[in-house]
Amino acid sequence: MRRTFSHSTFRASLLTAAVVFSFLAGQAQAQGNKPEAPMKLKVGDVAPDFKLKYFDGSGLKDISLSDYRGKKNVVVAFYVFAFTGG
Amino acid sequence: MKAFQQNLQKLEAADTQVLGVSMDSPFANKAFADSIGVTFPLLSDWGGDVTREYGVYVDQYKAARRINFLIGKDGRILEEQLDREAIDPTKIVDACERRKVNR
Repeated sequence: MRRTFSHSTFRASLLTAAVVFSFLAGQAQAQGNKPEAPMKLKVGDVAPDFKLKYFDGSGLKDISLSDYRGKKNVVVAFYVFAFTGG
Repeated sequence: MKAFQQNLQKLEAADTQVLGVSMDSPFANKAFADSIGVTFPLLSDWGGDVTREYGVYVDQYKAARRINFLIGKDGRILEEQLDREAIDPTKIVDACERRKVNR
């Protein structure tokens, strides 16, 4: 009887360990999918130049990052989609 | 984008141009800018080439992460704000004002 009990306790703890392990593994994977990835561009790197369009109300205009070189600091604020939050 | 608009005077006083970037069309971005009162340009990275080059494209969304870069006059990155942190641009506004004082 006692032996059976300890055997089943052992099995239960194995099962618990398996459940905990798979939970942790799942979490690690979920974190990998989240957009918390390390940045390709780091502080101190040269920001790649770009030329992009915007609509100013009358026509399409081009803006390049290099337009501001030596003149102004530039905040480049990437956002997910128009009409979503902030 | 609203938070940058609220700080626009401070940023302009510190010699800083604000540019929003998303993968929307220029026209959607203009409508968005008008609806939230943003007066700085919202640029259209249609197709996402620049978003990928900056390493902020997320496959899962087929769109950009919310990331702010502050780029100095020499073209180098001075500050980065990532994801949730990027909603409040205080760190960038402070950095601009510090540089203005130190100049």
